[in-house]
Amino acid sequence: MIGVEDLYKSFGSVRALDGVSLSVGLGEVVCVIGPSGSGKSTLLRCINFLEEPTRGLVRVDGRRVGYVQEVGRTRRMSGRELARMRADIGMVFQLFYLWPHMTALENVILGLTSVRGVPLEVAARRGRALLAKVGLSDKMAAYPEHLSGGQRQRVAIARALAMEPKVMLFDEPTSALDPELVEEVLQVMEQVAREGMTMVVATHEMGFARRVADRVIFMDRGRVVETGRPEDLFERPRQERTKRFLDKILA
Amino acid sequence: MNLDFSIALKYFPVLAHAAIYTVFLTVTSMAIGTVAGLFLALARLSRHGWLSKLVWGYVWIVRGTPMLLHLFFIYYAAPLFGLTLDAIPAAIIAMSLSASAYTSEIIRAGLQAVHHGQEEAARAIGMTYPAIIRQVVLPQAVRIMIPPYMSNFISHTKNSSLASVITVPEVMLTAQMIYSSTYRAIEILTAAGCIYLVLTSCLTGLQLWLERVTAYETRGLSPRRRRKLGLEPALAHGTDVPAE
Repeated sequence: MIGVEDLYKSFGSVRALDGVSLSVGLGEVVCVIGPSGSGKSTLLRCINFLEEPTRGLVRVDGRRVGYVQEVGRTRRMSGRELARMRADIGMVFQLFYLWPHMTALENVILGLTSVRGVPLEVAARRGRALLAKVGLSDKMAAYPEHLSGGQRQRVAIARALAMEPKVMLFDEPTSALDPELVEEVLQVMEQVAREGMTMVVATHEMGFARRVADRVIFMDRGRVVETGRPEDLFERPRQERTKRFLDKILA
Repeated sequence: MNLDFSIALKYFPVLAHAAIYTVFLTVTSMAIGTVAGLFLALARLSRHGWLSKLVWGYVWIVRGTPMLLHLFFIYYAAPLFGLTLDAIPAAIIAMSLSASAYTSEIIRAGLQAVHHGQEEAARAIGMTYPAIIRQVVLPQAVRIMIPPYMSNFISHTKNSSLASVITVPEVMLTAQMIYSSTYRAIEILTAAGCIYLVLTSCLTGLQLWLERVTAYETRGLSPRRRRKLGLEPALAHGTDVPAE
């Protein structure tokens, strides 16, 4: 479903991604772990082209991301083509980025009305169902500033799901939350995973990775250091660097 | 001292009529300046360096030279280019230039004050740039822009008096004509001052109203919008935030 080949991304002289390859199958849940600055976020942001890779190839659902192959040449997608492609790739941000001038329900349905052209009433019906699904049927008319962090992130997940994306990217979705609010968000994500969504999750939640991930990837300094099934990677890390990271974080 | 304010009352209708010119000049040039200012601000923030620099240069020149000079310049220079402009069109052009330069900076400040994550979240669900600006960024930016925008609107109203120098019969020129024939400068200037004060007070009122209608989170959704979204009426719902 997602294919990443030899991806490089530099910000000035800083190498954020240093040759990353990765493939994620349909319905697979992949957790990306690693210290901050290891390139997890940049990897996710390159997958939906919020960040333009310096070099390398990203495919989602068989189509090259960010570029169009035409006879004899490859050109960068236009703004409209990029937008259409991103509509199929859901993304959830660490800092939620809900739109503060809209209610929870309006946040969820803006994509449907603005991007998919769904009539307001139909979109609202779908939005209400999604908010109910993430446990927020009593907060539909609330503005983001009146919601807790956990509630905001659940709205953000519903907003991404509303587009019926083919894959979902989660960029440290619980890192900005108070500890007691983390679980409610993880539970929603777990439910989305159970329903068969293809997911890539950058996270520091090792419990979640162990419980939900089909595969865990450990990144450091822009490279994939180790990848494996969660039980293998957590119990029997092969690389010294992975072991040191896990010792530190699980201590 | 010998003051006779009955003279001010007598000429008040003449001054009030002149105020129509003042309002017309100010509102028209602000409207043109605001639309132009929006595009200038977007151009200034554009990824294309040359476009941004061009707008920077425009603002640098227009904002850095007196509007009085623009008025004379356009009024007297136009014939050199084979155009003859009446006083009112010349004044509108000059005042629109000034309004566009100032509002572009106010709009830019507003747009930049909206966190980039707001735009990013909109891009991530597949919205196009014009839709993002219209539906996500501007509604938030407008609220930030209202106080400086309205301050500028008030300054602009007062600056419209400069159009008197190119013979636009607005409040200031009319006042001058009246007191040069009646020798009642104090009384007439007081009346003119009152007219400006009424006009700018209307703008202050408009500002209060705009700030109230854009305070979305305290106002909540309109009953009509609620119905469309299939939400129960406000306050019938325990979890809704009351209007106050």
